[in-house]
Amino acid sequence: MTISQKDGALALAGGAVRASMTRSSSAGSRQFWRGALPVYLLFFVLIGLPLGLVLVQAIVPGLFNPRGMDFRLNPAALLQALASSRVAVSIVHSLQLAGAVAITATALGGAFAFLVQRCSLPWRGVIVSLPWLVFLTPSYLKALAWVLLMSPAGYLAQFGLLPPALGQAFFGLPGLVFVHTLGLFPMASFILGSALTGLGSEFEDAARVSGASPLGVWLRINGPLLAPALALSLIVIFAEVLSDFGMASTIARSSNFGVLTYGIYAAASDYPVDFPLAGSQALVLLLLVVVVVLADRLLRRQKDFRLISGRSKAARIYDLGAWRWPVAIAGLIVAVLALYGPLIAIIVRASSQTLGHGLAWDNLTTANLAQALSLGTAANAALGSSLVYAAITAVLACGTALLLAIRLEAIGGVLRPVVLGLSLGAVAVPGIVLGFGYILLWNQVPGFRDSVFPRYGDASLLVTGYVAAALPYCLIVILSAVGQLAPNLGDAARLQGVGGLGRILQITLPLVLLSVATAFLLTFIRTVFELPMSQMLIPQSGPAAPSMILKLFSHDRDGLASALALTAMVATGTIGGAAWLVLNRFAAFRRTSALPVERTAS
Amino acid sequence: MTAALFCRDVSKSLGGRMVLSALNLEVNAGEVVSLLGASGSGKTTLLRIVAGLANPDSGVVSVAGREVWNARSVVAPEQRRIGMVFQDYALWPHMTVAKNLSFGLRSQGLNDREIDKRVSHALEVARLSALRERYPSELSGGQQQRVAIARCLAGRPSLMLFDEPLSNLDAALREDMRMEMMELVRDEGTTVLYVTHDQADAMAVSDRIAIMRAGSIAQLDTPQRIYDTPADPFVANFIGGFSLIEGQAGDGWFKPGGDDSAPLRTISHLSGNGLLVVRPEDARPRDTHPTNVLKGIVQARAFQGRCWRLSVAVGPQRLRLDWPEGPAIGSAIEFSLPPERCLILAT
Repeated sequence: MTISQKDGALALAGGAVRASMTRSSSAGSRQFWRGALPVYLLFFVLIGLPLGLVLVQAIVPGLFNPRGMDFRLNPAALLQALASSRVAVSIVHSLQLAGAVAITATALGGAFAFLVQRCSLPWRGVIVSLPWLVFLTPSYLKALAWVLLMSPAGYLAQFGLLPPALGQAFFGLPGLVFVHTLGLFPMASFILGSALTGLGSEFEDAARVSGASPLGVWLRINGPLLAPALALSLIVIFAEVLSDFGMASTIARSSNFGVLTYGIYAAASDYPVDFPLAGSQALVLLLLVVVVVLADRLLRRQKDFRLISGRSKAARIYDLGAWRWPVAIAGLIVAVLALYGPLIAIIVRASSQTLGHGLAWDNLTTANLAQALSLGTAANAALGSSLVYAAITAVLACGTALLLAIRLEAIGGVLRPVVLGLSLGAVAVPGIVLGFGYILLWNQVPGFRDSVFPRYGDASLLVTGYVAAALPYCLIVILSAVGQLAPNLGDAARLQGVGGLGRILQITLPLVLLSVATAFLLTFIRTVFELPMSQMLIPQSGPAAPSMILKLFSHDRDGLASALALTAMVATGTIGGAAWLVLNRFAAFRRTSALPVERTAS
Repeated sequence: MTAALFCRDVSKSLGGRMVLSALNLEVNAGEVVSLLGASGSGKTTLLRIVAGLANPDSGVVSVAGREVWNARSVVAPEQRRIGMVFQDYALWPHMTVAKNLSFGLRSQGLNDREIDKRVSHALEVARLSALRERYPSELSGGQQQRVAIARCLAGRPSLMLFDEPLSNLDAALREDMRMEMMELVRDEGTTVLYVTHDQADAMAVSDRIAIMRAGSIAQLDTPQRIYDTPADPFVANFIGGFSLIEGQAGDGWFKPGGDDSAPLRTISHLSGNGLLVVRPEDARPRDTHPTNVLKGIVQARAFQGRCWRLSVAVGPQRLRLDWPEGPAIGSAIEFSLPPERCLILAT
């Protein structure tokens, strides 16, 4: 088997890339623009324009001056903001936190991936499912759960498990690093696990027969081959922490540890509203994320490898012998810290009257859960709204992404990588920045400001924001699936006289149904718990569940907040799980029928 | 009689490279014509242009007397009534065999009775009636191929296009599948344009073969005439197994370059530099044609069942010969060539 330097980027969508026949006629071009232009326009209005306004507003601070628009370029406000100690400290804090978590989460995730992929472990099922469950739990819920555990009157202190010094240190950089690490190690685990899976034992075999020791194999062969994945993990986690708003608006805020994302929210939401300050911080945050994305691109271009021939052998599994029990216990401890501990804290808090009285029998109550489940209560209304918003968002985002993916696959050429690159970039755009862009666009820009649908202050704009936030990753998931389809399937239908809509509904959609369903469920779950847009675009009719949970926590109603969070998790999990089971069964025969078969004589 | 397919001056460039260059082709009704060429010769592009899946830059394409592409008007692929068997068959994996056949018919607006009649007939012809409720993944490669053909037949196209339908099969299966496939289309009297890079496939299935070279047709003729009298060195080279020997030709003779043998007698009347076409099976023992003998040294040999395939150095040039025995490598060999089989091509 031979290895070569990879020469291109967009590895994520690599499987989707294929050559297609060009359509040279002007009639073909016209047809393409008629079909594709509205979709591209939608993409631009949903994501491009709000982000553009954030950037422009940072250097043209008078753009949305209430006393009259001033279009003059004036970097003074930006420089002033950057010179202010508060913003400077936020930048330093953001970088400190992102840098530290990138290292710790990559270390933990890498160890976890190695254990899962390369070692024979007891209780494997429990350990393997952990990263996915942690990954699907929103950061602010994990943060709130850890506040319940680590606060001076919290559960760990009640059990005597929390030394006072540790409790104090938790509300600062160490605590943030700790909770972020437990929340983000799944990302590193996915990235490094995937690299380990693809690293067949033939490399090790070749090195061993060439005389390398086991340690030498890891240092000289596996290490360099895994280095790009390691670097990618560091970069992705760094960007994720920079963009995170959940931890920023919970532990960081209560620790007075200012970071950029919360700074943007505070400047755009707290009285007096300071758009130039919000814009300046948003610009800095975007630039940092762009630098990280560019670093990722550069790294892949220079350092990634790809297999160009041969058949990969299964990876070698190590037998840990007597060490397997301590290692499995360590894995379970991570599971408890990352998932089960916080989850239990939320369940207990949702079932108790006060935090301080802990698990005493007379402190237990069903009142919080009853309130969250009762129709007519504000908490229940928030939950109901979120479920409805999430369902609408998932339908719109997946429908748009499917149409866009089909168009992109059909046209190929330059536009495909451009739009795909924009989508990948848009995934990295912090939700809080996009939310701020929405405020600027729909509250300030003539034409948009007067729009009836979507309307500023209305749930329609919040759903639009949710769709914008979801569209890039929906597109990536669905485009990967559409790209896997043999183009001849559509051509065959075309030659059989089937029109465009018929091909989408009867050929493409059934074949990518599972991916569309995956995108739908991911969008649904993420939207129910989506925080930045929910906070930035709170409708006048009432907040969505994430905003309500934070509001209840900040008003010391953490019992009801926990009950609402728990109800939302159960409702989402039940709906998502049931939908997934039904779809999986429904699509099972399609998965098997899509498998290549060995050609044999009839 | 109206041609089933007529291409006039069809040109196409891709990425600045000319893929088809003012190509002309006429296929008669009921005829099977193969487009045979190497990768990049333009054969698949021509097939896709005929299907309507790609547009030419200029020219005219007519199917059954109807212009489906010219500079002013384009008939969409779904309206051309052309069937196509793809290299990977392109069976819709989520539909049963019967649904694969009926899907296109339903889109054409046919009523249920007509659809059922056509599907049943196509399944019967393709001997697939018992498999009508199976999914493609539940079929063997040969059965999948028959479904792909039956799907085309059910649509009753005026022209069927085959895009290297045998290239996914291993050598042992190819011949069986080829015969079965052509039996189906011949029985239905369908006009076929068949793309392949394999000369054995082309020879076996075609009434005529179009050898393609860099976007144009180098020779269009029956398989036997192409084999016996290739138009030029390119065609001779492309028909696998032929050896070409450089030398000097005169009226009825050929002297191989770099070899001191006596000139060979030929039936060609070319003069000057030329190439002698040697088909492996034409080699005879020295005494069969004692006045037409070449001497060489055996460089390599491989047993092929009915004979040995030898690689023989004749002066500085190499020939492939089929020989009844396997002489040792390095040994001298003398062989003769029938004068009537010694074809000389101008260089």
